[in-house]
Amino acid sequence: MLDSLVLSWRLVQRHWLVYRKDLFANILPTFSDPLFFLVAFGLGLGAYVDQVEGMSYSRYMAPGLAMSAALFTGFFETSYNLYVRLVFEGIYHAVLATPLGPKEIVTGELLWVAIKGAIMSFGVTLIVLAFGLVDARYIFLIPIIGAMVALSCGTIGVFATSKVRNINQFQTVYSLVIAPLFYFSGIFYPISSTPQWVQWIAQLSPLYHGVRMAQQALWGENVLEALLVHGSILLVMIFFGLFVSYKNIIPKLQN
Amino acid sequence: MIVICENVTKSFGSFKAVDDLSFQIPSGICFGLLGPNGAGKSTLIKMLYGANIRSSGTMTVLGRDPNVESHIIKKSMGVVTQDNHLEDALTVYENLVVYSQFLGVPKLTRHEKIMSLLTFMKLDHKCHAPVRTLSGGMKRRLVFVRALLGDPEFIILDEPTTGLDPAVRHLLWDKINELKSFGKTILLTTHYMDEAEQLCDHLVIMDQGEIQAEDTPKNMIERYCPGYLAIIESEMGNPVEEVDIWIRQRLSGYQIRALSLEALHQYLKKHQLEPKVIRPSQMEDVFLEVTGRELSQDA
Repeated sequence: MLDSLVLSWRLVQRHWLVYRKDLFANILPTFSDPLFFLVAFGLGLGAYVDQVEGMSYSRYMAPGLAMSAALFTGFFETSYNLYVRLVFEGIYHAVLATPLGPKEIVTGELLWVAIKGAIMSFGVTLIVLAFGLVDARYIFLIPIIGAMVALSCGTIGVFATSKVRNINQFQTVYSLVIAPLFYFSGIFYPISSTPQWVQWIAQLSPLYHGVRMAQQALWGENVLEALLVHGSILLVMIFFGLFVSYKNIIPKLQN
Repeated sequence: MIVICENVTKSFGSFKAVDDLSFQIPSGICFGLLGPNGAGKSTLIKMLYGANIRSSGTMTVLGRDPNVESHIIKKSMGVVTQDNHLEDALTVYENLVVYSQFLGVPKLTRHEKIMSLLTFMKLDHKCHAPVRTLSGGMKRRLVFVRALLGDPEFIILDEPTTGLDPAVRHLLWDKINELKSFGKTILLTTHYMDEAEQLCDHLVIMDQGEIQAEDTPKNMIERYCPGYLAIIESEMGNPVEEVDIWIRQRLSGYQIRALSLEALHQYLKKHQLEPKVIRPSQMEDVFLEVTGRELSQDA
């Protein structure tokens, strides 16, 4: 078990080595996308919106946008990027001839995604903190919540990678799964103000639970309650996602 | 024995890529695995290190079952994969650092190990070059270094010289012989019969998932097509078989084979045939004889 984790960690080190070769291009969209959203919606739409949940619109959106960085990191890394490594670069053909097996590879991929999700969501949070949009007291929780969101969305990406027949099919997954997660997880408006059926659907979104935790943490209100309720639901989702994604991707790596 | 396979089968749905295969690879030899494209060689190789899980039969590699303990087997095994699958974004040295970490090469000895292997494969001058700037032959040599990082006891060379120029091929042959002299056990697949003949102590010819022939290269030639060959073009007419004279129609013309050079010349003279080439039988002739592939549609 420990040996296996050490091997997975070595894959994380490999990913970091490759990632940092093109650091600026790799890291830019993670920070620029949420910031453009914040500026465009916060200044544009915010001018027409007095208050949301008793705060400015920019302040309302800030925690959710930090979590969106984890969503996109989690999904893109385990879909397009993993597919390229698997099919176009074929590096796992060579890696499988070393002591790493399919399990170590999938664990390494997901570890990498969790770490990236933690760093990216924390990075965005530090920027919105600099603009005075969030409360710093519970900021230390953000990397943990970000890692959980990235991991849960990463399992969606791994599952998609196990099923797609070509790289274009990820676009379908993006349009039908990832984009709705982004729009219907309470980043831009409180889910509690939507019709009941939307609220039910939102409960199924891992991002929604991450966003709720990040919001309470960065607004400094009812933090423990949010962690207990949404944290436990998200953990169950992560375990379910891990189970389904391992089960489906391992045969693809092994044949 | 380094490898023992007994009745090994691998099915993908109803298709049997490897069908009831049995063979053994003793320690310290170069074992050649030949066969047409699609014969099941790559599937078999992947089963040896657990990248494919066999459907039935028993297999031990370095004394362990690859379905269960491939992670241990792979510590003592090096694989030159059929395609390079190098990290194009990284330098030569960085590629080797990544794989040293996968193999658990201690950090203290890592640099020394990498440099000595780069020197061994005559690639030390490219140490810090990005992989994408290397020539095809250099990339292949780098894959050799990558396979040797863990100081493997058993080395798999999956078409190691395909697509390389003769100078690089000869350099690699030289290195393979050197590895053999260090006592390494080698499994080699190739489509170059001269390569198999020169390097291998023992050969297996596979086709349609099964072993069709197995022996030393010399014995195989002796058994399947001993003697000398003359090749004539089709326009010369249709030569007929006689006692101790064998005729094969190939796409390139006819092959006339006799046990001795003298008998061959006599036959050619008698029928007034002008050969393009006269040469001793080779592994290539054995391969075509055994697989019978040249004229079949799926060749």
